[in-house]
Amino acid sequence: MSAFKPLDPLLHSQLRLAVMSLLISVEEAEFTFLKEKTESTAGNLSVQLDKLEKAGYIEIEKSFRGKRPLTTCKITQVGLKAFEAYVENLRNYIE
Amino acid sequence: MEKEMSSKESLTLITEMINRAKRETAGDGGFQMRLWGWVIAICNFGHFTLYKLGYEHPHYVWILVAPAAVVSFWKGFQIAKKARVKSHVSQVINQLWIMVFAGIMITLAFMPVIGYNQNPIILILAGIGMWTTGSLIRVNLVRGGGVLLLLAAVIAFMLPVSAQYLLSGVAMVLGYLLPGYYLNKSYRERI
Repeated sequence: MSAFKPLDPLLHSQLRLAVMSLLISVEEAEFTFLKEKTESTAGNLSVQLDKLEKAGYIEIEKSFRGKRPLTTCKITQVGLKAFEAYVENLRNYIE
Repeated sequence: MEKEMSSKESLTLITEMINRAKRETAGDGGFQMRLWGWVIAICNFGHFTLYKLGYEHPHYVWILVAPAAVVSFWKGFQIAKKARVKSHVSQVINQLWIMVFAGIMITLAFMPVIGYNQNPIILILAGIGMWTTGSLIRVNLVRGGGVLLLLAAVIAFMLPVSAQYLLSGVAMVLGYLLPGYYLNKSYRERI
């Protein structure tokens, strides 16, 4: 029997969960991709990405493509484990 | 700014986002399959026809492979450069086909050693590529193409070398071009 554990507050937020769900399916994704798929504003997305990065859930790499700045995000092992634990907890709540 | 979510809403959001990511990494719409399918089928049919017409150098038709390789690498590079996401599956598929291509090059380099039976070996290599690609992208028609290419290789080994070109041409159309066009159609429907 599995006990109810509190849901990770960092993941239990619409935009951060959306970002993590997108990143779990790919190796890495650009900022513009995340912005388009989550239908969020650049400002809000930046803030949420920063929170995920500070928690060690994602890695953010800033570079250039030609003259344009390029931000690429990637899920980390810590992020992957946290996401899996979050989904497992969700399942317990639903069952 | 942040909406409180129920457990069910969370799961729905996860599923929706995973599906959106999947659509983006849907591949090149079978471009490489269509390109190589046409080129190799034309070369095979061309070689067979020229040989039957008594032309002395039917293998000249294979020169077509050189510009096709340039287009293939250029397009592959363009797609990779423009891609806003990198997926494990597309990277594995790229690596797989690089090795299939290398295998084909080695086979062609040793054509005299294998008594010019390169066609069935190429069909086997392409068949392995198709089966594995089909398994990775979960498209049974692509896996079926792989099976068909391997069956064609078995038949080809029992035929004289000249007839192998005709069989390889037919096998390329059915086992390579057909799945390529199917991917193109389903890609357009998804995007």
